[in-house]
Amino acid sequence: MKTQYKSDYIILIVVLLLVTIGLVFVYSASMYNAQVTYNNRYFFLSKQAVGALVGVVALVFCWKIPLERVKKLWVVSVVLSAVLLVLVFVPGIGIENYGANRWIGFGSFSLQPSELAKFSYVLFCAVFMSRRDMKKFGNCLVVIAVGVAFCALIIAEPNMSITMCMAMIMMVMLFVGGARWKHLFLMLFPIVLAVPLLILLEPYRMLRLLAFLDPWASPKGEGYQLIQSLYALGGGGWFGRGLFNSIQKYRFLPFSESDFVFAIIGEETGLVGCLIVFSLYALLVIRGVRIAVNCNNRFCCFLSCGITSVIAVQSLLNFAVVTGSIPPTGLPLPFISYGGTSLVVFMAAVGLLLNISKNISSTNIGGFLWII
Amino acid sequence: MVDFYTSKKRLLSLFVVAIFLLSVIFLRLGYIQIIWGKQLQSKASEQWQRDLPVKAYRGDIVDTNGVVLATTKTCYTLYVRPKSVVDSEKTAQILSGVLQLDYTKVLQKVTKRGVSEVTIARQLDNSVVEKIRNENLPGVYLSAEGIRSYTYGNYLSQVLGFVSVDGVGQTGIEAYYDKYLQGINGQVLTDTDLVGKELEEGQMSYIPAIDGLTVTLTIDSTIQMIVENVLKLAMYQQNPISCRCIVTDVTTGEILAMASNPGVDLNNLPRDNLQELMQYSKNTLVTDIYEPGSTFKVLTAAACLEEYKNGNPKAFGPQHIFNSAGTRLIDGSKISCWTKHANGKHSNQNLSDALNTSCNPIFTDIALSLGKDVMYKYLQAFGYGKASGIDFAGEQGGLLVPQSAVTNGDLARIGFGQTIAVTALQLCMATGAAVNGGLLMKPYLVKEISDPTTGKVVQRFSPTVVNRAVSPETSSQIAQMLARVVKEGGGKNAYIEGYQVGGKTGTAQKFVDGKLAQGKYVSSFVGFFPASSPKYLVLMIVDEPQGQSYGSIVAAPYAGLIFQQIIDYKNIAPLE
Repeated sequence: MKTQYKSDYIILIVVLLLVTIGLVFVYSASMYNAQVTYNNRYFFLSKQAVGALVGVVALVFCWKIPLERVKKLWVVSVVLSAVLLVLVFVPGIGIENYGANRWIGFGSFSLQPSELAKFSYVLFCAVFMSRRDMKKFGNCLVVIAVGVAFCALIIAEPNMSITMCMAMIMMVMLFVGGARWKHLFLMLFPIVLAVPLLILLEPYRMLRLLAFLDPWASPKGEGYQLIQSLYALGGGGWFGRGLFNSIQKYRFLPFSESDFVFAIIGEETGLVGCLIVFSLYALLVIRGVRIAVNCNNRFCCFLSCGITSVIAVQSLLNFAVVTGSIPPTGLPLPFISYGGTSLVVFMAAVGLLLNISKNISSTNIGGFLWII
Repeated sequence: MVDFYTSKKRLLSLFVVAIFLLSVIFLRLGYIQIIWGKQLQSKASEQWQRDLPVKAYRGDIVDTNGVVLATTKTCYTLYVRPKSVVDSEKTAQILSGVLQLDYTKVLQKVTKRGVSEVTIARQLDNSVVEKIRNENLPGVYLSAEGIRSYTYGNYLSQVLGFVSVDGVGQTGIEAYYDKYLQGINGQVLTDTDLVGKELEEGQMSYIPAIDGLTVTLTIDSTIQMIVENVLKLAMYQQNPISCRCIVTDVTTGEILAMASNPGVDLNNLPRDNLQELMQYSKNTLVTDIYEPGSTFKVLTAAACLEEYKNGNPKAFGPQHIFNSAGTRLIDGSKISCWTKHANGKHSNQNLSDALNTSCNPIFTDIALSLGKDVMYKYLQAFGYGKASGIDFAGEQGGLLVPQSAVTNGDLARIGFGQTIAVTALQLCMATGAAVNGGLLMKPYLVKEISDPTTGKVVQRFSPTVVNRAVSPETSSQIAQMLARVVKEGGGKNAYIEGYQVGGKTGTAQKFVDGKLAQGKYVSSFVGFFPASSPKYLVLMIVDEPQGQSYGSIVAAPYAGLIFQQIIDYKNIAPLE
């Protein structure tokens, strides 16, 4: 019997704060559009609130479930994710939206399998890498094979952003897992080659790439989304227009409640509000890294590392897109953006993180992370 | 097996990278929000608001007594923003009912997609607008606009000019004083969403329009109406291609009436027939030139008397008896009088007699005797060869043979008004200068520009003396001689007992394509009263009258009619 320590309640508080911020800004960003489109200003808020409630249940469940059982669930999880990713293409079950098959659904219930797949993959990696010697190239190939399979299914939807996210997580897992540098470089090649290939397959990606460099070259086309995002942020200044006072939410900024909700946060609360949100994410990542670094067993270390990197990668990508630092791509901001699946899955993952944190003594902190 | 410590080291290094990236993005964010923000805001503000122009009221044009000649009537344009319409069927039903439009067509417009605004009806008046306002239909908007309206559509049309469909002055006073009349448009800014739907909590800012100024003409609408009516009569009786008339106040240079017939109806312009529009809306009294003929002899006579007074030995005194011959031979070319000097006609005449009979050879003698230097000095002093400077676009300066190139033959003909082309306005001002005491006045059409709301005069135009043409004594002599022309000579048909009307007739053959056109005359009469202290001057021009062509018969009677009616209107008592 292992010693049980106190869970990392800072993580819990930070996540609950982020989810609350999410509810407030999903409402603020969507109320006008919801009123006009559905004649109900709470349309998106209520769906997000349901997601948050389910998320809390999932979080508590993952927090309390014995980690050994989680470890055994990896096969189920990977297979389930793969099946769901395939179901996206099955007519009647898959839902097409904006020209992409990213959802499956029955009635009013819908789900985005790619959100689940990221964490299934992390779980798989944690289990596999904890058992194998990752210095061996063969073992690396297994991790890559599963990752590429997921990536292939996701890019087929198509969903470039989650694919990129997935690929990055794969690299992070291999890197942390201990793969040799030369193997890592070997793998980097096909990824570097894949980028021009993907652009060749879908020329609109090149347009987007150019639009990011000078959005005003096509203000009504490719550059529109970024321009609107910049208008929102630019309206924020130091302290923002005030809560619910966004102008850009009046249908100027598309996806203002989902992928671009951070732009609305920036508009309504200014640089100061953005700093607070950044700090919350940074704190969350710090606590996640702290757990991973202090774990005594490899599985827990890799799992907490994986979960933390998904959060870190995805939020960084989202911030970068919204600020026009990288080409625009649609990726939800964890815990805040509108989207039930994403919210539930991320909260469940945080549950696992809390679960792992029970194994760590607050006095047993090594490295420079002792300050935190 | 991998060293566990390596994994942790690698994880920590990734963490450092992540925090670094987050810091970079934060700096970028700070740049966007704090430094770039203002610029982004101003770019974005264009899309946040829709602006509706508030048209400035175009200023009125009024006559010298304040009678409104051109004004702006408010009418409304009704348009719909389909996205803001709540109940499209009900809206279409009410609109089609009130506007008497086809229901299905209105419904089509009300439900039209992909447009922010659809115009339903234009030029609606207040009563209709009131009905629609009372219905309080969401998504239905009215915008007021001004339609130019002219009190007397047919009168003064060439002077007033017209405006374009957008209300910009195109010709005449409307064009010349456009910047004063126009005013400054304002606007209503409304907060809207992406597709132009107004926001409930949105703000509305209103920048009021500044109305155009009132332009007061020197024109007296009553005299203008008198003239227009007389022109109609002349058109009917003489059947010419056109009749034109100017009435001026010789003491000030004010234009009291200026009319051409045929003209255009400003309230119903032939906008689709550009040629007709340009032809009849042109103020030819200012923009076109003609050969004046005998009316020009006033100048020659005045020059002669003034030079005589100043002791020029080549000038003839008022008592000088001229050669009675009917022709002169100048450099081998023969110049004849308009009538044969047989049976004692035109014999033993002095200057006054010569004006009475309009004897061409005598004016030839004067012009040649004075010489080209003196003649050109007087042409200049009387304002010929250059534009008068009237406040009207497109004025011409007339045609003079250059002084260096003028031959004796030319000079001789100039003496009785040929080989020279002038505008009707120039002839008026020159004749005025000859009789008003000797001052050439600058003609003007606008005497005041004022603010309609405060009544404050923004700009006032006063009589301007261009130069002295002749001495008061000479002027008075000329006025008396011209009074005799009307009493006994060629101007008899303009005579009014007791009012000392003076004047001179003119009949000039028209040039068509550089050649004298047989049977085509411009008959004219320039007259004024009272001769002892001239005030009103009338130039009446009848272009190509059918039948009789002498100015004395074709033009003088109408000038007389105008004088008589001005006397009645102004209630002027007889002098004798």
